Amino acid sequence: MKILLIEDNARVAQFVLKGLREGGHVADHAATGRDGLFMASSERYDAIILDRMLPGGVDGLTIVSALRAAGDRTPVMILSALSDVDERIRGLKAGGDDYLTKPFAFGELAARLDALARRAQAVSAQTALAVGDLRMDLLKREVTRAGAAIELQPREFKLLEYLMRHSGQVVTRTMLLENVWDYHFDPQTNVIDVHISNLRRKIDAPPNKPLLKTIRNAGYMLNADG
Amino acid sequence: MASAGASFLRSASLRLALAFAALFVFCSSLLVGALWWTTSGYLDRETNAVIAAEANALADQSRAVGLPGLVDAVRRRIAESRDDKAIYLLADPALRPLVGNLAAWPLQVGRAEGWWEADVERNGALRRARLVHFVLPGSLQLLVGRDIQDRVEVRQAILEALVWAGALAVLIGAVAGLVFRRLVLARIAAIGATAGAIMRGDLRQRVPTAGSGDEFDALAGTINDMLAQIERLIDGVRNVSNAIAHDLRTPLAETRGRLEDLLRHRPAPDAAFAEVEEAVADIDRLIGTFNALLRLAEIDSGVRRAGFVRVDLGDVVRSVGDLYAPAAEARGVRFAGAANVSVAVDGDPSLLAQAIGNLVDNAVKYAPSGGQVTLGLALDGDAVRVVVRDDGPGIPDADKPKVVARFYRGDASRSAPGVGLGLSLVAAVAALHGGRLELADAHPGLAASLVLPRRSVADSPA
Repeated sequence: MKILLIEDNARVAQFVLKGLREGGHVADHAATGRDGLFMASSERYDAIILDRMLPGGVDGLTIVSALRAAGDRTPVMILSALSDVDERIRGLKAGGDDYLTKPFAFGELAARLDALARRAQAVSAQTALAVGDLRMDLLKREVTRAGAAIELQPREFKLLEYLMRHSGQVVTRTMLLENVWDYHFDPQTNVIDVHISNLRRKIDAPPNKPLLKTIRNAGYMLNADG
Repeated sequence: MASAGASFLRSASLRLALAFAALFVFCSSLLVGALWWTTSGYLDRETNAVIAAEANALADQSRAVGLPGLVDAVRRRIAESRDDKAIYLLADPALRPLVGNLAAWPLQVGRAEGWWEADVERNGALRRARLVHFVLPGSLQLLVGRDIQDRVEVRQAILEALVWAGALAVLIGAVAGLVFRRLVLARIAAIGATAGAIMRGDLRQRVPTAGSGDEFDALAGTINDMLAQIERLIDGVRNVSNAIAHDLRTPLAETRGRLEDLLRHRPAPDAAFAEVEEAVADIDRLIGTFNALLRLAEIDSGVRRAGFVRVDLGDVVRSVGDLYAPAAEARGVRFAGAANVSVAVDGDPSLLAQAIGNLVDNAVKYAPSGGQVTLGLALDGDAVRVVVRDDGPGIPDADKPKVVARFYRGDASRSAPGVGLGLSLVAAVAALHGGRLELADAHPGLAASLVLPRRSVADSPA
């Protein structure tokens, strides 16, 4: 993917750029809001990572609003040291697609960025999902593995749906908490891990090949190959 | 002394009292003036009309019957006059009286014809009279008029009364102003004294109330509520400072030690990376603590109240139970969550979920292996209770107030994970929603209740 990072802090910028390039992305960098807005509107990017507070008069929210006003739908991830719920809502209202509070783990940023770019591509409403021989019928709300029906609780169904929609991508615990439960807080304990292992017992029961993998220091991935 | 006088004049209450007195005088003068001019003016016009009619009649008669007839007519009219107010005087061209009820031609009335108001001598006294002077053929001078001395006296009396009333109004206004000023100043001074004491750092001061329930009491109540809120916020800041000193410095020191140790001993890469990984995990925990503190500060400030919506607490409880149940069972704790009711409250669904989640998380942590945790929802009058019960060690009564304090962790929990902000957050969320956190013994274990006011039926949409 081609990604634009608009961030004034040199260390954070270097850390993010390095991570993105190691992940096989092409990454451009702008250190001020003015440069950022110019680059974002003159070139096509698959996603933009944007610091909320930037020097030079043009701040992050101004850039998002300007892009959206010009009809630019490029996915935008807002980075901010402001963690208030109000700030988060303001960022999303201005046209941001996701909001990540500093400090963050690079794994979290990369996973969310993948999800954003994927969401921008998948426009058509799907009625069925498939990962390997795991199939989900969204209309009948049925799940089968190698043809055998699997009984899932409603929340497990939602969890699996999210994982299947993001198959081949790393999904973090926070992303699951936000998207499956709609919770934006730290639940203190490893509640998500337990939900995942319950789900794994149901969909990856032997002799089936395991599809749901744990990615160390990052999260989970549902993947048919490897 | 001069400054005391100046401040006396500057006093808003005194100015107000004087202004009221002036307004009172102005309004009453206006009222009396209007009455006066309408009634007195009407009487004047009546008098003038009567005098003019009589004078014309006499003048006509003089032309018809000549001087002797006129003298008779004047005599007859004087005899017929019922109220002794009519004045007639017929004089020769040298103004010597021929006939009439005045002893002499009034000095103030000259030779010119027309209307006069003059003092005339009647029955040995000077009286005010309204007169009209005609010159008849043969230069006979006819004076016809009416005695208006009574009206003049009444007018004088009313004028005097007005002056007295005005003076009295000013006096009453001034006295009322002074009394008002003293009363108001006393209350304002009390508020000022409280504010002064608070500025000097004594946050426990409160504005005294008179108990009369008047506007000043209402104001004092509002100010006191505000002061209580400020005191709580300041306490919060103080707690956070203490917390930062104790509970953020300690882990920072540990992490710093870990990294410094790594620099000094330079172990093999594998061992070094394992240490770095531990350090990152330490920092993540610190960030967690930090976020929890910020969240608490945000809740305490009350700004989240702006985002309150109608929430079905039953939904929140079911969803939280659903999130935590597998984790409880994985720890060997039986979890029973029952909330098959709908209860509407005004609140922030995310904060309510986090608070209930913290209660469940705590209960699961302290329940013994093979123990049981229940999460339930019950109506309690105008309130609704979310009760989380465990059969763990419970909390001794003496420690119950302390566990809600920030960063407090009982001896029994030293080894359990967490940063010790869980119950503080629940208490803060309860307070934000106008409710409370209750900790009770479940014999054995702890029953923690989040008590919230229910949304009243009246204002919930049908």
